[in-house]
Amino acid sequence: MRKTRRNADADEAEIDLTPMLDVVFIMLIFFIVVASFLKEAGIEVNRPESNENPPETDATSISVTITGDDQIWMENRRIDIRAVRANIARLLASDPEQSFSVKTESGATAGTLLEVGDAAREAGVKQVNWPAEEKK
Amino acid sequence: MSAGRGGAAQGGGGEGEIDLTPMLDVVFIMLIFFIVTSSFVKEPGIDISKANAVTTNACDRGTIIFAVTATGDIYYDKKEVPLGRAFRLAEAAKKEAPKANFVIQADVDAPTSVLSELLAAIKPLMDAPLCASTNEEG
Repeated sequence: MRKTRRNADADEAEIDLTPMLDVVFIMLIFFIVVASFLKEAGIEVNRPESNENPPETDATSISVTITGDDQIWMENRRIDIRAVRANIARLLASDPEQSFSVKTESGATAGTLLEVGDAAREAGVKQVNWPAEEKK
Repeated sequence: MSAGRGGAAQGGGGEGEIDLTPMLDVVFIMLIFFIVTSSFVKEPGIDISKANAVTTNACDRGTIIFAVTATGDIYYDKKEVPLGRAFRLAEAAKKEAPKANFVIQADVDAPTSVLSELLAAIKPLMDAPLCASTNEEG
């Protein structure tokens, strides 16, 4: 290095890049380690604004209720989780633009909620709405 | 570039100097890539059993992650947080990364009442529907 510098005179000063390289490498390793390529996957659940909540008598919306003991009720009868998709698909057939909402009572579990949401998405609803639980 | 080559020619066979410029270019590009992509996700750091779903899709920019356990405890950044603090944590995270979206990892046995309250708390901060984390195809 010293020899080169003496040879080059003041013609073109060469900078020793080694310290900068050290710093750059350490930064590179830091960012590689910190970068967590975490890809979270899931289903989208929309919480409607309380004022734009469709009225109960709205004929053009599909509503599913999950009771406190994880029973699924639809059109005033209890249905099995495996039948949810078929039932929603049947209702959607008449009007594919219908909105869908799932209501829960306190005591229901997230697993059931997500299964119903999943079934609805599989049946073809645009958006799963989940209004706030009513306080008793 | 030409100076480096000249130096190598002058050095003869004594000390072969390697031109570091191309490597530096690559290293800088990698560095910039990792700086840009790093999103500093704070993981809830708790093991939960997610629900299975067939319509799972990727949560777009879902980097603010809350977890709700089977007992109804809320976790964020490896710590259990009360519902009241969840909003402030969410607000701070949203301020740090304005484009980030919210993800809730809910255990299959998590009560929906807790989930509902948590969602109601962070609702004002959300500009996309909530992403409820699920297992892919199970």
